[in-house]
Amino acid sequence: MLELLWVIPAAPLAGFLVLTLFGSRLRKPAIAMIGAGSVGLSAAIGIMLSAGFLDSPPAEHAYTQHLWTWMNVAGYVFRIALYFDALALVMTFVVACVGFLILVYSVQYMADDDGYARFFAYMDLFVGSMLILVLADDLLLLYLGWEGVGLCSYLLIGFWYKNPANARAAVKAFLVTRIGDTAMAIGLLLLASHFHTLRIQEVMQGVKEQWSVGSGLAVAAAALMLGGALGKSGQVPLQVWLPDAMAGPTPVSALIHAATMVTAGVYLIARTHVLFEWAPVVQSAVAAIGAVTLLLAGMAALAQRDIKRVLAYSTISQIGYMFLALGVGAWSAAIFHLVTHAFFKALLFMAAGVVILSLHHEQDLFKMGGLRKQMPLVFWSFLVGALSLTSLPLVTAGFYSKDLILWMVWSSPLGGPWLWLAGSIGAFVTAIYTFRMVFLAFFGETQSHVTPHRGSFLLIPIAVLAALSMVGGFIELPRTLGHLPLFSKLVETALPPPPEAHYGLSAEAAFQVVAGTVVLAGMLMAWLLFLRSPQYVRSWSAAPWGVALHRFLASGCGFDWAYNLVFVRPFVRLAEINRSDFIDSIYTSIAGANLLGHVILSRTQTGQLRWYMMGIVAGAALTVALAVLL
Amino acid sequence: MTSAMFVVLLPIIVTGVTTVAVMLVVAFYRNHALTAALTSCGLVAAFLILPVSGAAAVREATALLVLDNFALYYIGLILLAAVAIVMISFGYFERRAVDPHEYYLLLLCAVVGGEVLAASNHFVSLVLGLEILSVSLYALIAYARTLKPLEAAVKYLVLAAGSAAFLFFGAALLYAEFGTMELPTIAAALNAGTPIPSAIVLAGLGLIIVGVGFKLALVPFHLWTADVYEGASAPVTAFIATVSKGAVFAVLFRYFTESGVHAHHALLFIFTLVAITSMFVGNLLALMQLNVKRMLAYSSIAHLGYLLVAFLASGPLAAPAAAVYLAAYFITTLGAFGVISALSDRDHEPENLDEYRGLFWRRPWMALTFTMMLLSLAGIPLTAGFIGKFLVIAAGEESARWAAILALVVNSAIGLFYYVRVVAVMCAGTPRSSEASTLPPALPAHWSGASALVILTGALVWIGVYPAPLLKVIQALVTLPG
Repeated sequence: MLELLWVIPAAPLAGFLVLTLFGSRLRKPAIAMIGAGSVGLSAAIGIMLSAGFLDSPPAEHAYTQHLWTWMNVAGYVFRIALYFDALALVMTFVVACVGFLILVYSVQYMADDDGYARFFAYMDLFVGSMLILVLADDLLLLYLGWEGVGLCSYLLIGFWYKNPANARAAVKAFLVTRIGDTAMAIGLLLLASHFHTLRIQEVMQGVKEQWSVGSGLAVAAAALMLGGALGKSGQVPLQVWLPDAMAGPTPVSALIHAATMVTAGVYLIARTHVLFEWAPVVQSAVAAIGAVTLLLAGMAALAQRDIKRVLAYSTISQIGYMFLALGVGAWSAAIFHLVTHAFFKALLFMAAGVVILSLHHEQDLFKMGGLRKQMPLVFWSFLVGALSLTSLPLVTAGFYSKDLILWMVWSSPLGGPWLWLAGSIGAFVTAIYTFRMVFLAFFGETQSHVTPHRGSFLLIPIAVLAALSMVGGFIELPRTLGHLPLFSKLVETALPPPPEAHYGLSAEAAFQVVAGTVVLAGMLMAWLLFLRSPQYVRSWSAAPWGVALHRFLASGCGFDWAYNLVFVRPFVRLAEINRSDFIDSIYTSIAGANLLGHVILSRTQTGQLRWYMMGIVAGAALTVALAVLL
Repeated sequence: MTSAMFVVLLPIIVTGVTTVAVMLVVAFYRNHALTAALTSCGLVAAFLILPVSGAAAVREATALLVLDNFALYYIGLILLAAVAIVMISFGYFERRAVDPHEYYLLLLCAVVGGEVLAASNHFVSLVLGLEILSVSLYALIAYARTLKPLEAAVKYLVLAAGSAAFLFFGAALLYAEFGTMELPTIAAALNAGTPIPSAIVLAGLGLIIVGVGFKLALVPFHLWTADVYEGASAPVTAFIATVSKGAVFAVLFRYFTESGVHAHHALLFIFTLVAITSMFVGNLLALMQLNVKRMLAYSSIAHLGYLLVAFLASGPLAAPAAAVYLAAYFITTLGAFGVISALSDRDHEPENLDEYRGLFWRRPWMALTFTMMLLSLAGIPLTAGFIGKFLVIAAGEESARWAAILALVVNSAIGLFYYVRVVAVMCAGTPRSSEASTLPPALPAHWSGASALVILTGALVWIGVYPAPLLKVIQALVTLPG
């Protein structure tokens, strides 16, 4: 059964090949069949394998499939091998299943686009690369998937490349993530040079046996890997690319920039958790970065006009929660939030996509309004997603995962009240920006002409995800509410359990009440500010301090401005100084010297016999003179 | 002359007999196909009989000639090149308005001259071989008897005669010193005798360098090259570039290596200087050249400069490296001129670069073959040219000829420009309509020339990809008694 593992990444890659080679000759239904069908095959096999895995787990809860040896040079062996354990299972499930739903959605969403085959080819390549990333047994193969998804992200952000702004956004995403990827590549080299292998399990074993906790090498390696994770997952200070990445088509935003690729950093840290446990400084940094990111991104989301940018900042903020969980050693909680976030964020993007389509590509929240009545199904789905995002207690999946994180942050010895406070404030902000979005878009006055889309390909995936966003949390119930730790039981076969907590049930219950109150307070606040009496917000934003604050938040807390000032402009200025490229002039002068030599020597080719004879005679005189005199 | 000597001399004798046979046949029955077939059969027979000569116990045939393994390798190379030239020529002259029969006769004579040179062990045989070769070449160059070939032939005649005079005088000086014209005796005296060769000996050697340098088109005796290459018809040019140079190089290698004088510091300096200037002058002259035949002429100057690096290296790799390089140079040069011949029609050879514009779209196979040849000349990996250049550099490195190696590397970069430029022109779009009139008509290639090109391209790739068998054969053959 598990021997079929290789098909999971191979199917979408095959779909990519077929679409690349023959896409221009295929009709749209065939393209959709191949594009979504290949991912569907992966999802089906993934579910089958997962069922088999849960039913009768292989020895040591992991299965390795060695496909072939890529190279074997000077003691380094790099294998193309897949590794399937509980963590890979969860990730495969998320990538393949959510990916399949989003591709089904795309069949209709992209129906009028000229680049239909290109779109599905890129999406298949993305899903294939992402599956390689999560299934890789070797960090080198993981890096292949890592760069593969980065490439697809670039290609899909710039999918509508005729608009220069989209191309710029794609380049920005590529360049910024490249900074992280470079750090990660150096980290991989560091690990390879010490352990002579990049097999993840062997490297982790080597770290445990050869490095001491807190040693310089462990810190360096963990920090470099963290660099890669920060870039990919859009965490401070490398978060600036993600809001601009919304230039891509909405299914791309849902799949790549919400559900899967941007969580690759979380996966990477969880996968190499030993490294971070051996570098406590870096692990604390993970938690601190997560806390800072979730606050900054949440605040920035408050001031966005574009519905997709709100969702983008929300994604950054939610991944901040996952980093926070990783930083306090709550590995399974981080992965749990990754899963529920994939459900509700994909749902929100896809529902927003329908709204955008219905409004003729209008993305400005302030030009929406009153959509509740015109598109009820979308409204209810969006509301489910929004509630899950704000983690409304008891009924939403987001509650179970975020509550778990907040509780772990409080109770873990690595956490503490400050991190918990940051997380709780973040939850409050989340509730405000989420319902600001809901109220602006779906309530109030109708502002623009709507042609609702009722395609079943659009709505069925949305309905499925809405259901998952509600019930997806019930696989992990806290001790106070039934105590059903199915998910953490599963994941803890691959990741260590969280640090032991020393609090009673009543303490946990009290914190859940606090968390729930915070969320409800945030929703109330949003209702007050954006629906009941919007005049307050209007008067604040008219005041000078309000204008400045709004500009600061709307620009994503000024990171773009600062980077422009510190990195981009000095570099551009340097390039301008060197406009005529003095290094080039070396080469042009070499070419010029050759040309000059050609011109001078050509003069000797006169075509006159007497001159030629003189040449021989002179040469003879020189030769004899040299032979005799030297 | 004993009968054993006849056995040893069989390759040269077979070629000579073929010459007579062709002469007799041509006198009575003039049929182009028959003449060409007879010529190539004779050449192939001479090649096939080489092992017989190689199996003989005594390899010297009189004091004049020695058919040792070294000589047999170069004779074999000359014979194979001559077969290829006959194949190319047959296709070429089928289209030409020239009576071709005596051409084959002259070609065979020139091959005999080349064979004698490769086996020369005595100044008399050196002079004999050189003159047989040269006189045949004068006639071959002038064969078309139009203005340009005649001009080229006259230039070649005057200059070759002049430079031969230098060579003879140099030989005379050596005779004056040693009292003999036999190479082994002179070599033994030079190897064992006086620590410093006298000024007369050095002057004599210097003059021999002049004669040899002229034939090899080395700087500063190179000025004739482009004019003669341009004037002669393409197959004849191929012959001058390959057979003539190969035979003379064999002489140079044998005479100077056996006597050990190429390691003398003054001569070493001269050869290094000649090699480096040949590379630079050849490549720089070719740089912006728009006439393809002239470009190949200049390119051959540079290539002989590269070849001299192997000659300069006195280590055990030198002889094999030179032999491989020469083989690769033969294949690519024959291929390049073969393409030019195959593209020629009744009264026109495509010489101008413009005529090659867009050749890939009109004559893809021809353009592909030409590209392969040019890439091999440039020394791109997976071609024979790369293997040759690699071995030459390895041989030079073995003997620490760093200046020459450095010049070789720099010149490889310069050379790449004009080789690849031709490829780029062939890939470019079709010429503007105003130039369309000068296009060669799209005649299908003649089967004979085309099959020669197929064989040459095959050999080029084979040596480039899997050189081990050739290297093994050469390693066994060309090592001279030092």
